[in-house]
Amino acid sequence: MTRDNSIDKILLRVAEIMIQELKLEDVTPETFDPAIDLVDEVGIDSMDLATVALVIRDEYRIRIDEDDYPKLTSVQLISEYIERKLKEKAAEGAAA
Amino acid sequence: MVMSTENKGGEGNRLPEKEWTFSEILAQPRILERWQKVKKWFFLRESTYDMTNRCNIRCDGCYYYEGDKQFAQENRDPEAWRKLMQTEKARGITFVVLAGAEPSLVPDLCEVCHQEMPLGAIATNGLIFIPDSIQYRIHISVWGSDETSLNIRKAKNMLRRQIENYRNDPRAVFVYTFTRENIDQARNVAEILAADGCRLTFNMFSAPMGYDGSLRHTADSLKECRKAMLGLLEKYPGHLLFSPYSAVAHTHTSGLHELFSCPYPRMNPSTAIGLGRSFRQYRTDLSWNRSAACCVPDTDCRDCRHYAAGSAVVTARMFRHATDPDSFKAWLDYVDTYLAVWVMGYEKGPNLSDNPIAPPGHGLF
Repeated sequence: MTRDNSIDKILLRVAEIMIQELKLEDVTPETFDPAIDLVDEVGIDSMDLATVALVIRDEYRIRIDEDDYPKLTSVQLISEYIERKLKEKAAEGAAA
Repeated sequence: MVMSTENKGGEGNRLPEKEWTFSEILAQPRILERWQKVKKWFFLRESTYDMTNRCNIRCDGCYYYEGDKQFAQENRDPEAWRKLMQTEKARGITFVVLAGAEPSLVPDLCEVCHQEMPLGAIATNGLIFIPDSIQYRIHISVWGSDETSLNIRKAKNMLRRQIENYRNDPRAVFVYTFTRENIDQARNVAEILAADGCRLTFNMFSAPMGYDGSLRHTADSLKECRKAMLGLLEKYPGHLLFSPYSAVAHTHTSGLHELFSCPYPRMNPSTAIGLGRSFRQYRTDLSWNRSAACCVPDTDCRDCRHYAAGSAVVTARMFRHATDPDSFKAWLDYVDTYLAVWVMGYEKGPNLSDNPIAPPGHGLF
């Protein structure tokens, strides 16, 4: 069965990962504001982002460069990054 | 697993035999247990503070008396320090390092810092006892045998006086700084400290800007230091807070910046996240300067192998060590060591790695 990798699904899954990894309370994947700044408004730091990046790398089997993850500071930005990487991967697969 | 840009190969460098996912790495129970132990401390965000421009001794190669920070006016008002600590807490700082020139000369200011900020460490020469009420880690600097200390630091019977002050003190960690000239003395110093039940860790002399004296390391002395460190680690595992990977990271011919890209503001222009965002190094007049901000200002960054720098520089590079179980274990050992050295109440576990491994993208030496 093919996984649904629409941006909406990715947004929900990334929010779920955030909630699990950062042990956030009083928020659900559905109510998580994807635009909220994780550093300024949620208070996460580089080690948290690195941990989330590793979980996402596992989950979507995508390449995440070390220079990239510090810039992924909202669920929206992370989801768009994943979507772009999945497209690149699919294009590489099709070309191979 | 698809890896990032690290581990490019090269002489002596290991390449993972397979592509590991992070969850596969964490599936090993010892790794998972240690990961969960260290992860609880990811909230630590440090800044450092020069407490006074005075010192009761004067050491060759002292970083404090390089550059212009030594000329900053002292602020000796405890309430000004209290307000600073409150402001620091408000901007997210959770760990303070009280350093130059000699914090034990201003115990009232250290006390105020501790009242406002419960986690921290003090760097001292150990000749003046810091009151018990200040429950920070206390790092007591040792630069060799008493004969060497007399030559370099102009103080008599230093080790004996330091031990008298801090024997059986749970706050104390003796920090042996390897210079080019005292490598063989480390064995004797470690033996004395272990016999007195003192814990120690290792630092590497890192030359101040412009320093080209006899303490500066060479490739040969770095190799000798590593050998001495690993030998002592084997001999005193209960007293020495260190790991095989710590030895590699701090005695590599490439300095910490070249190996791991230093994230301190002085070398990192980004203010987005991590140390580049939050770290400040305050002078005694409570001012700070982003362009000079790192844990050992006025050190030559190319030569920096300082233990305080490594504690942040290596720790921040978790992502690039999550390539295979061996690399991740080495990183966990490093972080476990760093936390035990710096945080009161944190106890180091046995090292997960028995052997030195190469830093990601580099050879062993």
